[in-house]
Amino acid sequence: MHTSVPEPLLAVAALQSGYGKIRVLHGIDFQVEAGEVVALLGPNGAGKSTMLRALSGLLPVDAGYVRFGGRDITNISPREAARAGLVHVIEGHRVFTQISVTDNLLLAGYDLSRGERTARIEEALSFFPEIAAKRHEYGGALSGGQQQMLTVAQGLVRRPRLLMLDEPSAGLSPVLVDRVLDVIRQLRKQGTAVLLVEQLLEKALATADRVYGLVQGHIVLEAPTSESDLPRRLEQAYFGHQALTP
Amino acid sequence: MTSVTVTPPRSEPSAFRAVLPQLVPFLCVFAVAMILPFVSNDYWALIGTRAAIYWVLVSGLNLVVGFAGHLAIGYVALLTLGAYTTSVLVAGNVMPAVPVFAALPIAAVVGAVFGVVVGLPALRLRTFYFAMSTLGFATIVTQIALAWQSVTGGGIGIAGPEFPAPFNTAWGYYYLCIGLAAVSTWISANIAHSRFGRALVALRDAEVAAEATGISKPRMLIAIFLLAGALAAIAGGLFASLQTYITPDAFTFDLSVLFFIAILIGGRGSILGPLLGTIILTILPELAAPLAAWSTFLYAVLLLVIVLVIPGGIAALLDFRNRRPLPSNRAILPRPAALGDIVRKRAGGKTLSLRGIALSFGNVRAIDGLDLDVAPGRIHGLIGPNGSGKTTTLNVISGYYAAKGGTMTLGDDALPPGMPALRAARGIARTFQTPRVIGEASVLQNVMIGGTIEGEASFVEALLSLPRHHRDERMLAAKARGLLGVVGLETLADVRADRLQHSELRFIEIARALMLDPDFLLLDEPAAGLSADEIDRLAALIKAICARGTGVLLVEHHADLIFAICDQITVLNLGRILAAGTAAEIRSHKEVVSAYLGA
Amino acid sequence: MLGSILASGLAAGAIYALVGVTYNTMFSTSRVMSFTSGQLAMLGGVFGSMFMLKLGLPVIAGFVLTLVGCAIIGIITEFVAVRPVLKNLDQHLYVLSTLALALMIQQVAAIKWGTEPQPFPKLIGWGSGVWDEKFWLPVVACAATVIGLEYLYRRTLVGRAFLAIAEDNFAARALGLPERNLRIASYALAGVIGGIAGFSGGELLLAFFANGALLNFYGFVPVAIGGLGNNRGAIIGGIALGLFQQAANFLVGGIFSSVAVFTLFIVVLLAAPRGLFGSATARRV
Repeated sequence: MHTSVPEPLLAVAALQSGYGKIRVLHGIDFQVEAGEVVALLGPNGAGKSTMLRALSGLLPVDAGYVRFGGRDITNISPREAARAGLVHVIEGHRVFTQISVTDNLLLAGYDLSRGERTARIEEALSFFPEIAAKRHEYGGALSGGQQQMLTVAQGLVRRPRLLMLDEPSAGLSPVLVDRVLDVIRQLRKQGTAVLLVEQLLEKALATADRVYGLVQGHIVLEAPTSESDLPRRLEQAYFGHQALTP
Repeated sequence: MTSVTVTPPRSEPSAFRAVLPQLVPFLCVFAVAMILPFVSNDYWALIGTRAAIYWVLVSGLNLVVGFAGHLAIGYVALLTLGAYTTSVLVAGNVMPAVPVFAALPIAAVVGAVFGVVVGLPALRLRTFYFAMSTLGFATIVTQIALAWQSVTGGGIGIAGPEFPAPFNTAWGYYYLCIGLAAVSTWISANIAHSRFGRALVALRDAEVAAEATGISKPRMLIAIFLLAGALAAIAGGLFASLQTYITPDAFTFDLSVLFFIAILIGGRGSILGPLLGTIILTILPELAAPLAAWSTFLYAVLLLVIVLVIPGGIAALLDFRNRRPLPSNRAILPRPAALGDIVRKRAGGKTLSLRGIALSFGNVRAIDGLDLDVAPGRIHGLIGPNGSGKTTTLNVISGYYAAKGGTMTLGDDALPPGMPALRAARGIARTFQTPRVIGEASVLQNVMIGGTIEGEASFVEALLSLPRHHRDERMLAAKARGLLGVVGLETLADVRADRLQHSELRFIEIARALMLDPDFLLLDEPAAGLSADEIDRLAALIKAICARGTGVLLVEHHADLIFAICDQITVLNLGRILAAGTAAEIRSHKEVVSAYLGA
Repeated sequence: MLGSILASGLAAGAIYALVGVTYNTMFSTSRVMSFTSGQLAMLGGVFGSMFMLKLGLPVIAGFVLTLVGCAIIGIITEFVAVRPVLKNLDQHLYVLSTLALALMIQQVAAIKWGTEPQPFPKLIGWGSGVWDEKFWLPVVACAATVIGLEYLYRRTLVGRAFLAIAEDNFAARALGLPERNLRIASYALAGVIGGIAGFSGGELLLAFFANGALLNFYGFVPVAIGGLGNNRGAIIGGIALGLFQQAANFLVGGIFSSVAVFTLFIVVLLAAPRGLFGSATARRV
């Protein structure tokens, strides 16, 4: 169904990566179209975070390539990736606790001009009125959910073409999870593509257009969320009875 | 290699043949030292004597820096201490004069005591902090030598001890120092190649794993600091005599730098390398006058080059054996059947029980009221999402964390919280999520580490290479080889562990854990990073271990492995038990499936 | 006597505190404790004396050139001794690489500058006795540096980027901060702070190559007391150390003061390995 599109926004082929001697990803083929929301699902230790890190340059790519917006970005620095519009919001709501909310956002726009920075911050905060009200407080004074929103807002400051979110719902109350997912839907309306790593299957299926299943460093499943028996197929893939290839 | 118990002890000649290639370079250095007097003049006698004295100190310091990995950069302080102690005792300006051959051992005792005093901070401080504390000690020893005029003569100094005939000529003294240097080499080599030497390296590169095998860090370090301090003080006495007159100026920090850098240039974990390093650094400034002025600069440049370019030092350059390529298509083929010949069969009976275990980090409850029973001869699976407390549970059992509530019992005995180094003696062995293996040691040595507490010979017996020490070594080596056969890695026994693949390291850890004949084996994600074939072999191996009567607690993400081999499974979520039961029960458990799928 | 103790104690303490801040500034962006910290302060004195006495430059020019020189040495530290070993920080190779570089700096200073202490010129000429400038200058320099750093960290984006990298290097990289450039900048800044320490303390310590090793130790003690990377701890620790040392010096004599400092150092480290103001220990397993 994607053959009519000349080149997807993000195209990954035969990607291998890992930590030192430990190979985590064993040849990943993966695509994200412009404006599409894709969920990356998989059990713990499957290599979901590793994959995001390899894409954004936080981990070295050992083999294969990553193309973004028609350009080879294999092994580029996280800074370059962010400039190109590939923004990675890492897991664990790691905001900087010693500086204010505004400062956290200012840092996300480090490379921008001063005026541009201020404008972008307001734009990012407009998605999250609850932290806009706390903009002068220290990052450490926010609740876990607010910190998570702040990291997403940090990602938005860059006006990404593809926003990669690593478990944005971890540790959040259901209400807050819906808030974050709402923002993802808003972004899609604006034409921003989102790659979402998510533990909550139902929520992921409700938000995404397409899912990939990652198990033990292999993509074992790729399907549009419109397919009917996805939960059952995922379960089978997770528990490893037969590896289901798309 | 069929069985350990029936393998006859290797006969002495063959054992000798095995160590001969390692011995040759030392014999060459010794031979050159012996003929030096016949081919040169008194000037070279001085340099040769100095090199020999430096080596007496460096051979001991090498165990601290090269083996234990503690960056003691101020060892000139102990040289100073030895020099003044010997000189003062022989001169008799404080108490009746003592003959020099009695003064030297007394200095050694003083040096040993201060060696421990300087070294003790290493028990709590690492790297930069410890380096700073030895540096600080070096500064104050010099200042005390300057200030304590009634004893040390202050800035004016004191005469060094004179040795009686035949050691009162340049060459006579040279041979005395060469003799002592040879003895120091022998002693330090004995320790290095004993279970104590391996334990030091294990504490350096895999401290947590070393504790799990029962190695006591304080005892090891104190022994080594005693020895290094004694050797340094003896070197000091010899140095004082060579100088004939000593002032605090003679003991510049540059000397410390020389000792320290000789070891690093030589290479960590080697004896030949630092020996060559000491000789080279002693001779280098003598080759040309500009070199003498710039010697410290030169040493520093050498150090930087070594650190940045060849971190292994001379020893790595000379290590031809480990440059041979390994076969790339090698496979791990465990032979679990051979277990019966090596590991004692367990009578069973004792159960490892956890009741109401609770532990928090800050305000996060890592484990919250955990009950768990690991029965002998059974495989107990522990699964759950990330952060559910699986590894934390293992760490509580093996004593790295002390639980804030609840009890642990082993049979009828309580298992005290904390104290990881005491677990091995209780028959609990474990592996780690990230393999904790000594990269610079051979695969065989890594496995032998696991049996450290099984050795019987004392530190002194090992130091003097007495029979009991040899018996230990043979026993540990044979058992380790047998276990490498069991896990399918015997062909790699002599290869440096850091050349192995990740999956091979996982099996090394299992072999190391089995060295203890454990009652309980805790496996932390042993299948992570293994191929499907390797996981199948791992499963067979775990089953075989269990069939010998060992209780296995298996933390794993591979659901298929867990369901295939576990008798009992406990599922954790957020530090609490979500479900417990047999594989079939867990597989059909609604909440477990949803915890995994998040549905 | 109390006046002398206070004057010399505060002066020495201010210098130790600045060297401690030098350590921290390098540590914050790289997690590396560098043996070049004390050497930078030594060079502050040597460069100052060289530019003003040997080359006869005016005070302002000498001061600026000294800071530039020290900043360059700081940057060299980053390139030569820190960057190559950052990949394997857990092997602690930085202890050896920075020690090597420190020894090289010290040896070059000893040979090119001389092994005897050489005078440092009077900079302003205000005050005498316990109010001599050699006592108040380091204190003023320390206060100015603290205010300057506070402005940097609280009011500028670069300063906040430093704080961010110090707190969570990984998150800072993921955010796209130019981590490498910021690290180089922090080493240059550390060079400047070390240079200020040596320059302002020049009249007290003179231009002497062996000051490097001494300040390495005395500058590290406040860091050890205050906790790694904690500038407030380093300042308080430094001033306390200076007063303690000078009090011991005047009351029981010089030798015992260094024994006392060493004992204090060991006791504090053994009792609180993370420093009195330090944070909790990291997990081992």
